[in-house]
Amino acid sequence: MTNLLKAEMFKLGKNRAFWMILAISAGLSTLMHYLIMVGWWMMDGTPFDAVGLGGMNALSMFLVPAFFNLMIGTLAAFFISTEFGAGGVIRNQILSGRHRSQIYVSKYIVYTLGSVLIGVLIPLSTGLIMLAVTGKLEILDGGNIMYFIRMHLLFILQYAGYTALITLLAVFTEDSGKTIIFSVLFTLLMFVIEKMPVFNIVEIIYDYSIFQQFNLVVAPRMSAVMMAEAVIVGVVTIVVVVVAGCVTFGRKEIK
Amino acid sequence: MMNDYILKTNGLTKKFKNHHAVDKVDLSIRKGDIYGFIGQNGAGKSTMLRLVTGLSFPTEGSLEIFGTDARTGLNDAQKRMGAIIESPALFSEMTSRENLEVHRRQKGIPGRECIDETLRLVGLSGTGEKKAKNFSLGMKQRLGLAMALLSDPEFLILDEPTNGLDPIGIVEFRDLIRKLNREKGLTVLISSHILGELYQLATTYGIIHEGKLIEELSLKELDEKCRRHLKIEVDDVTKGATVLESVLGITDFEVMPDKTINLYQHLDDVRMVSRALTDNGLIIEHFARAGDSLESYFSKLVGGGRHD
Repeated sequence: MTNLLKAEMFKLGKNRAFWMILAISAGLSTLMHYLIMVGWWMMDGTPFDAVGLGGMNALSMFLVPAFFNLMIGTLAAFFISTEFGAGGVIRNQILSGRHRSQIYVSKYIVYTLGSVLIGVLIPLSTGLIMLAVTGKLEILDGGNIMYFIRMHLLFILQYAGYTALITLLAVFTEDSGKTIIFSVLFTLLMFVIEKMPVFNIVEIIYDYSIFQQFNLVVAPRMSAVMMAEAVIVGVVTIVVVVVAGCVTFGRKEIK
Repeated sequence: MMNDYILKTNGLTKKFKNHHAVDKVDLSIRKGDIYGFIGQNGAGKSTMLRLVTGLSFPTEGSLEIFGTDARTGLNDAQKRMGAIIESPALFSEMTSRENLEVHRRQKGIPGRECIDETLRLVGLSGTGEKKAKNFSLGMKQRLGLAMALLSDPEFLILDEPTNGLDPIGIVEFRDLIRKLNREKGLTVLISSHILGELYQLATTYGIIHEGKLIEELSLKELDEKCRRHLKIEVDDVTKGATVLESVLGITDFEVMPDKTINLYQHLDDVRMVSRALTDNGLIIEHFARAGDSLESYFSKLVGGGRHD
């Protein structure tokens, strides 16, 4: 498994799409943070406002699935799906003598690390750097730092559930274009379910999904029960979807 | 002995809807063999190789690799194998060295020395920073071969490996496979529809047609079948052999298991041979020219002249 992780890390480091998306994420978040901090772009009513972190309001954009999916859906397309395409490099991995489930899990782990870097750590670190550059680091205090840590840990957990879904989708479609299109449609569907009245059963499922948790974990205050729910939803989603992915990949005929 | 076999399939079948791509194939490859897998396009060669390498799963039947049932021991077997299936699977944005580095990590091969050694072995040491997408087809084939050889496998599976190689590349490839087979005892399963190429390399042949393995034979048996000769059937084969030897002084002939005589001399002197036999009281029941090139033999076997 360590060898597979090393191989995946090497591939990620050599992946042009990864570096391009990372650069876009860094550039975009720097620009957004700057525009908000200098007051050119007004944004209020965010959870960050409520804890006195209005200077970090630009992060709100990066917490929306429809937005971050554009980056990590594209990464999945060019990091995972393309391996099943014309080059067929996935064949080499199967022939390496590793269990298919190990291959799948190593892909998921490295893809998730890359996605967290692109969608969470880059926007967060550029935000902190911009605070320092503009001399506004004093808005950070013990209380909102704890909020930041709690929120990001729980968010990353849900995020890892989301990357598990996108990994499964990427392996299932075997096509970069389809992965991007279906992941966009998927996030739009979740947005529609969130905003529109839907069947009871769908609403119940949604309420206990990572998509609802994406909204809940950014709340300024969370009870212990809510936090436990967030952890359970995140962990269960990761386990169920990764196991489903292993089974799917294990039975897949490689072209 | 079972352990003499590197690969053994038992009724191996792969069905796609109503089409049998591989149909009850019983194939055996002994340790040290260079097994030429012959078939037309679409005959089932690649499907068979995909089943053997675990890229695809059989509908029925089973296979044993290194004496172990693939259902339980495929992963361990794969570690002892190298393969190119259909086309070399390369990362086009990576150099040859980087492609091999990914494969080295995946296989868990310790040390990076094997990369330089393998690149040298296949003649790709000088490619430097050139990315695989800029390689010629022949260079891609060489890199594919390098990946297959990186882990120093015991069993090498190659699907149409000389596609895109120039004539010198083909000769070098053949020499390399022979060398590895001779020096390291590497067992090779190599598929091709270019029969002349296989004829110069393989020691055993399997002919597949419409998913069925229709013949499996050694190089010696193939040579015998392909060697031009007179096939003679007489009422008394022992007496016939004596006549050929004592009357005509012929030594280059064989009495076959089906009680016929294959005569490899005097092919242009048919009258003399038949007269000698009849003058000595033998009744000739069949007398004909036989033997062909590998291509003609294969054509006859699969029904001739048909192409997908």
